[in-house]
Amino acid sequence: MQRETHYDVLGLPRRATLDQVEKAHQFLLEMYDDASLATYSLLDAEEVREARSRISQAYEVLRDPMRRQAYDATLEAAEREGTVVAFTPVAPALATPPVASAPQPEAALVISVLNEPVTGEHLRRFREQKGINLQDIASSSKIGVRFLEYIEADRHAELPARVYLRSFLFEYARALGLDPRRTAEAYMARLPKDR
Amino acid sequence: MSEALPVAAARPRRQIWSIGGGKGGIGKSLLTASLGWQLARSGKRVVLVDADLGGANLHTCLGLASPERTLGDFIRRRAERIEDVAVETGVSGLRLISGASDFLGAANIKYPQKVRVLNRIRSLDVDVVLLDLGAGTAFNILDFFLISDIALLMVVPEPTSIENAYRFIKSALYRRLRAAAATESVREIVESALDQKNPHGIKTPLDLLAAVEREDPTAVEPLQREMTAFHPRFVVNQVREDADVPVGYQLVTACARHLGVRSTYAGYVHYDDTVWKCVRQRRLFMAEAPGCRASQDISKIARGLVRGESLSLVW
Repeated sequence: MQRETHYDVLGLPRRATLDQVEKAHQFLLEMYDDASLATYSLLDAEEVREARSRISQAYEVLRDPMRRQAYDATLEAAEREGTVVAFTPVAPALATPPVASAPQPEAALVISVLNEPVTGEHLRRFREQKGINLQDIASSSKIGVRFLEYIEADRHAELPARVYLRSFLFEYARALGLDPRRTAEAYMARLPKDR
Repeated sequence: MSEALPVAAARPRRQIWSIGGGKGGIGKSLLTASLGWQLARSGKRVVLVDADLGGANLHTCLGLASPERTLGDFIRRRAERIEDVAVETGVSGLRLISGASDFLGAANIKYPQKVRVLNRIRSLDVDVVLLDLGAGTAFNILDFFLISDIALLMVVPEPTSIENAYRFIKSALYRRLRAAAATESVREIVESALDQKNPHGIKTPLDLLAAVEREDPTAVEPLQREMTAFHPRFVVNQVREDADVPVGYQLVTACARHLGVRSTYAGYVHYDDTVWKCVRQRRLFMAEAPGCRASQDISKIARGLVRGESLSLVW
């Protein structure tokens, strides 16, 4: 099923500047504010909460150049395959109206945080508990299985440059329902400084 | 009059514009009169129709006494041609078909009468017909709104007005969808949507499409086509502060996201004491004070509508 992208949620084109991301976010915050004339009679409290949550998810990714780059790469890869995926469950686009009896999976919204320090071994154990295999992460994130194995094996010398590694860790964490930023930072804190 | 007009070949076909809004007293008649005045000044041949059949007062906005001939005469066949009840307004190119304020039953005209009025309005030999719709969501009002080429929806930045505007949009759209329903069962679902406590749990047009899809997947596409063709344009009136301007953009965004309705923001009109003073004197502010803020706002809206432009968020 075609899903809204983060760009759709903020109503922005793919080329949007950071300034545009900020302004779109501000506009939507006001639109879904409790005092907003445009939404108070149209939506109930739960719908407003969902809308704000989607906006916040989109904003957090698009405001962060690193996360946005990784997201764009995933989006492009998905489009090449003819499917559009968002990292987070969002309401279907307008072309496919939501079916009232099919609520979004709440479980996917639960974000876990691992105790620090985070090693490759910790990540592997968490992944196995979730019953997710590396191949699944590789196909959803477009990151080669080999790199995912290096991350879990703490083979630091084999890992790509920090900028790429950070994106990889974001995608890996997201696929497991881990907090991407904290996971990446905790893992990278253990890397040798010259990496 | 015709000297000011462009040559016939270059003239676009006649257009019907309507001004609705659900709520009374928000300035629909003043907007109708002002847009008409502006269009006539720019060389178009315009007829204003006071389609507020129960509470017609468009003539007062133009500073005219209650016309002797009204739409009521046409409805009751005292006048055979609709042109016969169009009166001059004193502004070149601008005529008025006054509402049927003398005919108490006019707000409930029967279906064949309404079809006759709609067809004759369509056949008027002018450039633009402007329909001033009454308050509320009666079928007559919705039908006039739905036949328009440009359907303007006026709001003021106040809760009751916005609530009524959403109700108006839903009512108009459901009426359109009902007419497009191919089977009795689909028609029943559409009709049920008008009741807020309907058994299908339909709150919005998007819910309605989902309910129809469950009943009969093949019936969805024609309804989606109707939804795409439905295109209200918002005018925000009585803007008092900067924060009132984005309300129009928010309405457009909310309609798209939560109702599945494509709308646009035609423009806004500042609150202006000049308007109030002119209304008191039964003079049209556009003519009396063309330089005032509200007059300039309306000129801008008229230009945008003629050119097919709307306001859009530019960041």
